[in-house]
Amino acid sequence: MIDAERLKILTESAKYDVSCSSSGSARANKAGGIGNGYAAGICHSFTPDGRCISLLKILLSNRCSYNCLYCPNRADADVPRASATPEELCELVMAFYKRNYIEGLFLSSAVERSPDYTMERMTDAVIRLRKVYNFNGYIHLKGIPHADRRLVSRAARYVDRMSYNIELPSEKSLLLLAPQKSKESVLLPMKQLAEEKREDMEAKKHTVLPAGQTTQMIVGASPETDSQILRLSEAMYRRFSLKRVYYSAYVPVVRHASLPDKCTGLLREHRLYQADWLMRFYGFSAEEIAPDGENLPEAYDPKCAWALRNMQLFPVEVNTAPLEMLLRVPGIGTMGAYRILKARKFASLDFADLAKMRIVLKRAKHFITCGGKFCGAGSDASVRTLLALGSREETYEQLSLFSTPELAASALTGQL
Amino acid sequence: MNLYLTDGSEEGFFTAAFRACTDADCVVTSARNVQLAAGAELIDVQTDAERCERVRRFLRRYDARSLGEISLLLRRGCATKEMTALGYLRLIVQRRAPVRDMLAHPAVLEAMSEIKKVTQEAHRFKGFLRFMECSNGIYYAPFEPDNDVLELLFPHFARRFAAMPFAIHDVARQKAMLSDGRRRMLVHTEEKVDIPLSEGEQTMQALWKEYYASVNIAQRPHEKQMKGYMPVRYWKFLPEKQEEPKRPQ
Ligand code: SF4
Repeated sequence: MIDAERLKILTESAKYDVSCSSSGSARANKAGGIGNGYAAGICHSFTPDGRCISLLKILLSNRCSYNCLYCPNRADADVPRASATPEELCELVMAFYKRNYIEGLFLSSAVERSPDYTMERMTDAVIRLRKVYNFNGYIHLKGIPHADRRLVSRAARYVDRMSYNIELPSEKSLLLLAPQKSKESVLLPMKQLAEEKREDMEAKKHTVLPAGQTTQMIVGASPETDSQILRLSEAMYRRFSLKRVYYSAYVPVVRHASLPDKCTGLLREHRLYQADWLMRFYGFSAEEIAPDGENLPEAYDPKCAWALRNMQLFPVEVNTAPLEMLLRVPGIGTMGAYRILKARKFASLDFADLAKMRIVLKRAKHFITCGGKFCGAGSDASVRTLLALGSREETYEQLSLFSTPELAASALTGQL
Repeated sequence: MNLYLTDGSEEGFFTAAFRACTDADCVVTSARNVQLAAGAELIDVQTDAERCERVRRFLRRYDARSLGEISLLLRRGCATKEMTALGYLRLIVQRRAPVRDMLAHPAVLEAMSEIKKVTQEAHRFKGFLRFMECSNGIYYAPFEPDNDVLELLFPHFARRFAAMPFAIHDVARQKAMLSDGRRRMLVHTEEKVDIPLSEGEQTMQALWKEYYASVNIAQRPHEKQMKGYMPVRYWKFLPEKQEEPKRPQ
């Protein structure tokens, strides 16, 4: 069994990765095996920073031969180093899983010796878990850039999800801050995996990445605007059918002339997640949310910002508006919109009904009428001011919602 | 005013509901410590299979799904659960049709939000339940849920740990469900059970605490959020929330 000291080193090196979600896979338990996937994801604990623990997030090794400037484990850094063997890792996963500490494994690694050597050891660990330990729980495997494509295909048949991190929002920044990685070394495997998954689904085998692919980028370490970032996400969602793009506000762990020395505000990360939700669940395009060259406004959420730019479309009548339009009303989330669709079949809804149905009227009232009645503020200027004031109070509460993907899914939809 | 006192079972509730449904100003409860108001008459409900079945048949006919909903409502850990269920039932009787989409009606709203508290707690414990390896090889998980969710939770673990012997113990309600991989059993228990742990159990708990401490980002404390998602009353059985491991600087 792995000792506490190495566990600590290998965990601390992995903890900044934000994609801890265990959702999207309903892998069944096979006869005699241990574990299964749970499609909605499960949080097993919460750390004092408010984040959810779902998977055992760990590196196989932090001995890196690469030199990404922002990374505490880069080759040039003077930090304690450790590796675990695939066997030690399997034992730890099984022991934690049987006690219900975790939903599965999120395995990553520094580039130890070479990309192929590293990818091989990681693949060895996950295949061992599946075949020797009969483990059917969730596995998320990080892809190593430049690793042989056959190794990547092989691994993809044993895990639920893989992620190649795009790391930075432009090729230029990637080259500057992560010189050994390249756009191709990340995007080509993503493309390859997307194709393999498509073929696998067409053949109805469902063995390749049942929970799909995700990626992650660091926001604020480089100068790209939110509109650039969102366009990149939109393109990746479309081209590689990604399940999620994770945004991680830059935390300076390393000092360097090419790096900012301040943390990126959590508010910026939060606004990006809100915008991302709007693209995935509310029918917005990146273009609508953030006009070219602009950042998302901090003063209010991106849906409010869009509505304020398009006041000519409002107010809409709650009792007759189509779903697509209800979804665009600030304050009415997907849950709220569906609740309205159901309830208005029985009776015409007034403001009191909406309040009873837990529709947050604070923002919505400026954009809707109920049976022709309007209760919002009189002028665009006052709507703007009121929304900005309201958002200042809510920011703190809402920020929290986004750092836990699973819970966010249910809590959030009602919020935007 | 009539006060119907039931034994807390679903059958008891349906028996009481048979009359209470049309008894406008009444109270149905299974709480043992009710204060009887002046002028109130206590009716000790004896479960009656015939009456119970008639109410159930009615529901099956007009809205079969509501049977499951009422069963969830009766798992709430609060004294007014029978009244919430009765309010919902009355509305179905009145309309002779499903009412769950009438989300602006107070009775429906209350029923739905109470059901959510039950299913949400059951879901939470899929994550928060903690097993310990006992010296006889059985994995044992004690817990104290607010609502009676043991039976709702059990199938999840029965699927997940199909080949592993385990027991889940609702300490406060003094009952446990066991699975040895093939058979499943519900047993009544004492409040305290003494179970010797396996040799490796303390080591694993220590490693888990080490992991918990290491994965936290100390520069970004957000205690309030942690407690919001993982309420303090659930900490009792979480090894990671027992005293911190001593860490050398
Ligand atoms: S590859 Fe780059 S980011 Fe990954 S561990 Fe090595 S230096 Fe860090």
